[in-house]
Amino acid sequence: MENSKRTDESRRSFLTGVAGAGALAALGEAATLREALAQSAGAPAAPAGTVTNEAIKAAKVPAMQYHSERPITGSVPAHEHDFEFTPTDRVFIRNNLLTPDLDINLHRLTLKGLVDKELTFSVAELQKAFPVVSMAGMLECAGAGRTNYQPRASGTPWGATGGMSCPVWTGVRLKDVLAAAGLKANAAHVAGQGGDPGAVATAAPVIRSIPMSKALDENTLIAWGMNNGPLPKVHGYPLRLVAPGWVGSASTKWLHTLTVLDAPFKGTYMTGSYIVPKWPVKPGEKMPPDTVSTQAWPIKSMITSPAPDQVLKGTERIMVRGKAWVGEGSVGRVDISFDEGATWHRAALERERDKYAWRTFTCEYVPQRFGHLTFLARATDDRGNMQPIAPYWNPLGYFWNGIHRVGVMVVPA
Amino acid sequence: MSRREAVRAAALAAALCCTGASAQDEPLISGPGSTLTENKCKICHELQHIKRAQLSPGEWADNLRNMKERGTPMTDDEMRMIHEYLSVYYNRDKPAPAPSPDTLASGGDDPMQKLLNANACNGCHSIDKRVVGPSFREVAAKYAGDRGAPARLATKIRAGGQGAWGAVPMPPNPALPEAELQRIAAWVLQQK
Ligand code: HEC
Ligand code: HEC
Repeated sequence: MENSKRTDESRRSFLTGVAGAGALAALGEAATLREALAQSAGAPAAPAGTVTNEAIKAAKVPAMQYHSERPITGSVPAHEHDFEFTPTDRVFIRNNLLTPDLDINLHRLTLKGLVDKELTFSVAELQKAFPVVSMAGMLECAGAGRTNYQPRASGTPWGATGGMSCPVWTGVRLKDVLAAAGLKANAAHVAGQGGDPGAVATAAPVIRSIPMSKALDENTLIAWGMNNGPLPKVHGYPLRLVAPGWVGSASTKWLHTLTVLDAPFKGTYMTGSYIVPKWPVKPGEKMPPDTVSTQAWPIKSMITSPAPDQVLKGTERIMVRGKAWVGEGSVGRVDISFDEGATWHRAALERERDKYAWRTFTCEYVPQRFGHLTFLARATDDRGNMQPIAPYWNPLGYFWNGIHRVGVMVVPA
Repeated sequence: MSRREAVRAAALAAALCCTGASAQDEPLISGPGSTLTENKCKICHELQHIKRAQLSPGEWADNLRNMKERGTPMTDDEMRMIHEYLSVYYNRDKPAPAPSPDTLASGGDDPMQKLLNANACNGCHSIDKRVVGPSFREVAAKYAGDRGAPARLATKIRAGGQGAWGAVPMPPNPALPEAELQRIAAWVLQQK
């Protein structure tokens, strides 16, 4: 960002100044702080340089369920995704720290590390320098659906289908930007760093890296648009990475620095979370030493209509509709069961368009009786991986892709 | 990514600072170590994170190491005390004992200490030791005889800021009423 350049000197001088703070080494940045405080003078209610939760919530539908306020997290249930793509007011919110209030005119993106030449772009420069693309793509928190796990795993208690969305993104391809800088032979990972403000100076910056194969995928974007509008502040304004199909944390919000590395970035957001045991552990056990970093989501689906507990009058045709997606590869088929899994019926699946977008499936059913009726959706990817009843338990509750089940009441008309 | 880069980001994050504690967040079960745990753990997020976590003592140990890496200002000793507290009062495998007084809390029933604890000041300050911020004794010594100090300190506590003691900023405390700010400022200046 602009500011980090300007205050380089003062930062360097206090790097030595606060050495006494030792391991906690909390470092402030003089000029920016003064600016932030000046902005807040007279209006101390909102922390300087951040967006209030009230402002964030005002732009979301009332159906959004919040799981915490600080940091703010929230999402809508499955039936609120019953659109071609997730509307902006329904896209899930997941912050690690606070929501920064950045200025699109001052914002800079720097690309550095193992590149032939370091590049810095303003948002306007980025928009002009590379072909602009729009595509729908899945964004899904690694812990989406976490509350389905038994015993409960630690982390944001996303509901059965919470913590994911599929909006349309607009931006430039990361691979084009990397090509402009020129990759060194040993370039292997790209780390994205966002400007999330921490509550204390000691807060570790949010940095995650993705392997070069994903960085060079033509669907991996540096985005500034969501659903043909600007990216809302809580979703990363003015710039964010979008690594569709992969765990959401790979899609760094408020992106200001991309660093090309020869190995995965080592930091708390790489090694302390977003990891799963290399070999499944007994449910309830703690994280073993042997772990792997989370990347692509396994095959998953959900029913978006009818809504749970909907009352349907008469035994008329019911259209069961939903979405299916997979982090890498493609969706092969979706089957629906109307008898708790005893028999399955193949659903019609919309053709594939954007590679990492969900696909809508539909299946008609004529109820044979009154009373409570359930629908189960089960997707299979093109390599034959099928959604399980319940996936392997893991300590941080990641990658829930168990079969989604919705119950309705059928009553006489 | 270099250490310097990480440092720059931390600095920037700090610069854009925010509130320390949320007043509405329900306290933890009272017991030896509860005050320390609240002070340290509500700096970045709600205490709800602790209440909903349902961890085993081994997982709490991992979690605390992770929280330290994420920037929780706590010493190894404090980490040990917090771990002991969490393993007793928020242990997935054992029901929590009845609440009891926090015998480890600095100041016990002292109303000023209660106020400082309630606003998480003690997460970063102590009377006689530097933590993240200066000790209150150092503050009193620095402004001894300065008649404008009480008002300036009250303003500083509310607005937060940096520069008086170093580059590390103090987050703002917008929720503290004026009367309490003045009480705290006057009390700080009496610490000799
Ligand atoms: C420097 C900031 C910071 C401090 C201080 C901090 N944490 Fe965290 N903590 C985080 C971040 C960031 C996360 C991940 C994002 C989130 O879940 O909000 C997290 C997540 C957690 C979680 C995961 C659970 C959940 O439900 O989301 C637990 C449990 C937790 N912290 C406990 C603690 C405890 C105990 C302390 C006090 C020793 C503490 N934290 C202090 C930053 C911090
Ligand atoms: C997240 C850590 C943190 C918290 C929480 C915190 N402080 Fe501070 N405090 C600091 C730092 C760092 C400084 C040094 C700032 C500077 O150099 O100007 C400081 C400075 C001070 C000073 C001296 C100010 C001066 O200009 O000399 C006082 C008085 C003070 N804090 C009181 C409080 C009180 C009262 C609270 C609770 C309402 C509180 N602090 C909460 C970190 C913190």
